[in-house]
Amino acid sequence: MEIAVLVKPVPDAETRLRPDAKGLALDPEGVKWVLAGYDESAVEQALLLKEAAPGTTVRAISYGPVARAEEVLRSALALGCDAATSLEAPPEAPTDAVSVARALALALTKHPASLVLCGKQAGDDEGGIVGPAVAELLGLPDLGVATNVRWDGGPGGLTMERSVEGGLEQGRTALPALVALQQAWNDPRTAKLPNILKSRKAPIERIPAAEVAAAMAPSAATAPRRLGFRLPPPRTGAKMIEYKTPEEAAEKLVRILREEAKVFP
Amino acid sequence: MTGVLVLLERHAGAIAAASCEAVGVARSIANGGPVVGLLVGPGGAAGATGLGVDRVLLAESPNLDHPSGAQLAVLLAAAADAASSTTIVVPGTARGRDLVGRVAVRWNASAATNVTEVATSGSGALRVTRPVFGGRATEELELPGPRQVLALKPHAFSPPATSPAPTPVEPLALPEGLAKAPALDVRGFQPTVGGKGPELGDASIVVSGGRGVGTPEKFQVVEDLAEAFGAAVGASRAVTDAGWRPASYQVGQTGKAVSPQLYIAVGISGAIQHIVGMVSSRVIVAINSDPQAPIFRVADYGIAGDLFAIVPALTQAVRAARSH
Amino acid sequence: MVDFSLTEEQTSLRDMARKFAKGEMAPHAAECDRAGRFPEEIYRKAWELGLMNLNVPTEFGGSGLGLFEQCLIVEELSRACAGMTTSIIANCLALEPILLGGTDEQKHRLLDPFCASYHLASFCLTEPSGGSDAGSLKTRARRDGDHYVLDGEKCFITNGPFASLYTVFATLDPSLRHKGIVAFAVPRETHGVVPGKEEEKMGHRASATSTVRFEGARVPVANRLGAETEGFSIAMRTLDQTRTPIGALATGIAQAALDHAADYSKRRQTFGKPISEHQAIQIKLADMAQALHAARLLTWQAAWTIDHGQPGSLESAMAKCFASDAAMRVADEAIQVFGGYGYMKDYPVEKLLRDAKLAQIYEGSNEIQRIVIARELLARYA
Repeated sequence: MEIAVLVKPVPDAETRLRPDAKGLALDPEGVKWVLAGYDESAVEQALLLKEAAPGTTVRAISYGPVARAEEVLRSALALGCDAATSLEAPPEAPTDAVSVARALALALTKHPASLVLCGKQAGDDEGGIVGPAVAELLGLPDLGVATNVRWDGGPGGLTMERSVEGGLEQGRTALPALVALQQAWNDPRTAKLPNILKSRKAPIERIPAAEVAAAMAPSAATAPRRLGFRLPPPRTGAKMIEYKTPEEAAEKLVRILREEAKVFP
Repeated sequence: MTGVLVLLERHAGAIAAASCEAVGVARSIANGGPVVGLLVGPGGAAGATGLGVDRVLLAESPNLDHPSGAQLAVLLAAAADAASSTTIVVPGTARGRDLVGRVAVRWNASAATNVTEVATSGSGALRVTRPVFGGRATEELELPGPRQVLALKPHAFSPPATSPAPTPVEPLALPEGLAKAPALDVRGFQPTVGGKGPELGDASIVVSGGRGVGTPEKFQVVEDLAEAFGAAVGASRAVTDAGWRPASYQVGQTGKAVSPQLYIAVGISGAIQHIVGMVSSRVIVAINSDPQAPIFRVADYGIAGDLFAIVPALTQAVRAARSH
Repeated sequence: MVDFSLTEEQTSLRDMARKFAKGEMAPHAAECDRAGRFPEEIYRKAWELGLMNLNVPTEFGGSGLGLFEQCLIVEELSRACAGMTTSIIANCLALEPILLGGTDEQKHRLLDPFCASYHLASFCLTEPSGGSDAGSLKTRARRDGDHYVLDGEKCFITNGPFASLYTVFATLDPSLRHKGIVAFAVPRETHGVVPGKEEEKMGHRASATSTVRFEGARVPVANRLGAETEGFSIAMRTLDQTRTPIGALATGIAQAALDHAADYSKRRQTFGKPISEHQAIQIKLADMAQALHAARLLTWQAAWTIDHGQPGSLESAMAKCFASDAAMRVADEAIQVFGGYGYMKDYPVEKLLRDAKLAQIYEGSNEIQRIVIARELLARYA
């Protein structure tokens, strides 16, 4: 089986967020770009399926400025992916989800996969649009928020669970298909040191910016325009409730929730 | 005049709160244009009356018991065209969010998910605000016209007042593309376990416990408080990692992100891992023995002290207040 | 040309170590410290990820890193728990005599199976009657046909109770002093190898330390490392290699202390504002940051020097000595910033002081380091 994993570079969780000079986006200065947490789960899923089905190959695909995309692709290679494709972002390229989906679909037409895996969303824009958009572009079925993905090894396809409102849905899909994974349910592995060293020297296929730009062009007119990127006013810290007895603390809190915060049920 | 189409999701026969919120938003951006609901699958038009939509389109077919994202995208695009809608609003549920990317491609629309504010701007565009980076920042986007598709963040909007007027229901002619759209083969459904109260992601009040609770047995004090509030129970990663409660309880970066009206953190120190999963809650209350715990920096109200004295007292006070 | 920027490869190694330290070590550091627990599951995981035999070339199954890369990793691990780090890097110390003194045949025979699965090794030099005076060893080696027979006791042996391989230094004749010392690789299963019980320590409590006694232990001649006269030189050259990572370990402790102190100072309020806005605290933080930075730079330069084939005795002694003194000072100040809370075991900083103390003592006490530094220094003023 051929598996493709879509991986996105996102700012490291410890990044101190600040708006750029125009106040339109995150200031990329000094940001460390890492494999998105949800995508780590997707890579882990691909590797679990590969280990269960010898002969499976896993290709990681990423879109973005070359340095960022290739950094996360090397992370994916260090974890155990077999090949990597980098879609070079054109200068001033749109970063909206549908345009990015078109770029990823371009790579998937060059490297058709029977299973496309991705995170259900990325930890930066938390859009969750790219995966389903790729599925729609390629005419694939898609399942989101998936956990416990299993392949029976035959053409019958994949079984999986997905957490939706009110419960857990057990589903099955024939291949090819796209599956967007819930984060961290499968305890993603850590890359081993020798594999990190090897991944630094591994080849990465690069699809040039001009070709990527052409693939993205159809959604130029619908791309959202950025108007602002803001940090919420800093929380000034809790208003601490002074009390002499626990009962007094409880009564004061109930009164505040009812009269001041107006959230008492 | 622009019309807005709303996907009405039903859980266990009733229209979900998230869909009602979507109707309210649709009304606010329709500028007097029609707000049309789309109902899919078995169950007829049950629950459609009183929602505040002008009419309902009903897509019925035996193979739409568990419609796939691809099928719903086909239906949404067809219904929007049939109703001359220029905007589609879907509820911020797991299923709803998954549709946005598909509809954006199929219907050639501008798209945004997790929307917390929306307003019309000139020439058919919409301005939306949405939290990013786990609520640590917000971005504002302009979605150009003529077509947009939005998914809302749960609990970000109030549902409109219900209206007793009967809602006309019309069948939606099933579009040709439906047969070609990949179907979903759902083999089973397990309602969420353990929850006597509401579901974590859906609840308007969440009470969570952390390592400070001490032992799996003592976690009961958290559950008692949740029950008094009619709240969902959550937990920090320390609790689920230690196996005190199942992983489905976990609130945080690697668990569920919640944004209820009221979030009460009991014995949770406030690791960033946890904070990003709850910081966008409207009101946060922290109860912790360590007055220096970082949770007090993100909380609106804090009580420093022994949680085993305070939480039971609070449970009593809440029960008493609610019984009046 | 001076260049202080890390390569992408170095950055990714450091990030990987940081992730392991935060994800696997830090959550258990306080518990292991309190209970004096040896967290074997964490050490196994460190081995699985290639964090254990950092200095062993890849052809023998190790990670084959240079000293600089080792230091980057050790600092990150130590930031989470210096005690665990000591146990994780003990293999580097114990295996270095084989790398320095062993033949190719010995390296393959001893290291290939050792590195292929989770194993611990211990470096056995120090004896109850004296640590720094390595020339006066009392453990005896006696030749008997194609074996040597070892008798004596070693103490303060890291991972002693759990090791499957010991590198042991013993003397053929104490009157020969340095020239009588021989190095051996002694498998745990050798009859007469008797590890003692675990010591109760002030710090590094996640690491295990014990005596190891040799009671007529018969070691094949094939396990002698180097010539009969080379043992002392192998021991000293080993310490020249492994001293610098102790500087990195101490730097990691200092970094952790500064992290905790700075973070706490922004949260703790006195006189109506965070204590970080009081100059008394700012001055402390500034001094801590300078000590930390200097420790790291000395460590990096020592590692760089040795990686470039220079002896580096002076540089590594300076790095180890300065960084461990700095770690002591920075941990001490961190407790002061925390005030009364800093003295409580519920807060993480008092552990740092206890952990830092060992870095001033082991792998050559700081007094010995200063003597080395002075000797090297004075030789230049001939």
